Amino acid sequence: METPSIVFYVGPFGITSIVVTTWGIMLLLGVLCWFATRNLSLIPGPLQTMLEGVVSTMETSIQSVLPDRAQQLLPFIATLWIYIVTANLTGLIPQLHSPTGNLSVTAGLAVLVFISVHWFGIRNDGIRQYFKHYLSPTPLLLPFHLISEITRTIALAVRLFGNIMSLELVALLVLLVAGLLVPVPLLMLHIVEALVQAYIFGMLALVYVAGAMQSQQHEKGKDL
Amino acid sequence: MDFDWTTFILEIINFLILIWILKRFLYQPVLNAITRRREDIEKKLADAQRIEAEANELKHRNEQYLAEWEVKKENEQAQLNAELAALRESKLAELEVKITEEAQRRRVLDERRQADFQRLIEEQGIAQGAQFSSKLLTRLASPELEDRLYVLLLEDLQGLHEQNRHIVTEAMSEPGLHIKVQSAFSLDEQKRNELTRLLFKMTDRALPIEFHINPELISGFQIDIGPWILHANLRDELKFFSGALRHAG
Repeated sequence: METPSIVFYVGPFGITSIVVTTWGIMLLLGVLCWFATRNLSLIPGPLQTMLEGVVSTMETSIQSVLPDRAQQLLPFIATLWIYIVTANLTGLIPQLHSPTGNLSVTAGLAVLVFISVHWFGIRNDGIRQYFKHYLSPTPLLLPFHLISEITRTIALAVRLFGNIMSLELVALLVLLVAGLLVPVPLLMLHIVEALVQAYIFGMLALVYVAGAMQSQQHEKGKDL
Repeated sequence: MDFDWTTFILEIINFLILIWILKRFLYQPVLNAITRRREDIEKKLADAQRIEAEANELKHRNEQYLAEWEVKKENEQAQLNAELAALRESKLAELEVKITEEAQRRRVLDERRQADFQRLIEEQGIAQGAQFSSKLLTRLASPELEDRLYVLLLEDLQGLHEQNRHIVTEAMSEPGLHIKVQSAFSLDEQKRNELTRLLFKMTDRALPIEFHINPELISGFQIDIGPWILHANLRDELKFFSGALRHAG
């Protein structure tokens, strides 16, 4: 995997093509969403039906894990799904690379998941009560809790990065070895993999956040 | 597999901005639209339920009305049937009376018709009998029979009751009166004189006497003294006989 090229500099910071691609994705999604939701009506058309179907499906998926917190978690988890799917599929466009094939991007997303786990946990139950669960059922398990937090975050970042990067690499190798149209099945596989990886990343993030919230509720239930 | 901190930091910032963008332009509008639709549906459902409840209430009330009407109808029908039965009974009784009266009237009419018929038969029988007797007596009529009747006439005149004799005397007292003697056959001079003497003796007056022959008498005599008439002939006897039979019938 080649190193992303720096497109321009802002002061001492070099803005890579990955960041520019991300901005493009953000712009595209923003414009599409603005265009699609500017005239929503009670009787939906095909586009509104599709949008409502997508949003409702994501909300339902979150509700199946955290029935009472779907509204709270929807923006974060749904944005993860949408962004990662879009970013994964960007690799299908010639001359563009998937931002999720870059470790800096997936690490950033994983760190965001890591932070949001604690953020939602603390918001849900307070900082003191939240960090108390690291000491349960016994303080001896605190190192394991910490290691678990770090490793699952790293695993989250590396899993997405590895899968997308390897897909692009394999497609590139097949293209080099076999010819122009041979990688087409691999590109179909790329679509499936993009959807699956986005779903996995979002669901894992949801499960982690839900774990942080439900662990507090579990402790509360035990206290009661 | 280079790690670029600038990309890392910018990706975090970009993602947070993307969250805001999508929340602002996708989640909130779509969720609001879904909520509005759900509220609209719930409102329509509530309206529909309210309308259904009202319809059920109306249906229930209507069923009650129908049940009440059914009971009322049955009562009125029973009352009507009873009235009809009573009317039928009274009409039947009236008809029975009329039939009885009609039967009685017919019976009376039949009896009357039968009596008339019987009387007619009797009259015919009497008339035939009288006709037969008349024919028979006409064939039997003769001077000898008249002589016999003459004897009977004399006996009757001689044995006339005092009261009748007085009536004859009074009738003969009218002025211009004459005695008319009719006979079926011609009377000889001796009989005329004998009869004249007897009449004079009976009336104590000498009135003019006219003798006539009248074959219609069949046999016998008729003496007219003013309004008083003495019948001693077969014709008048037959008439008397027929009249007597008719009155007897």
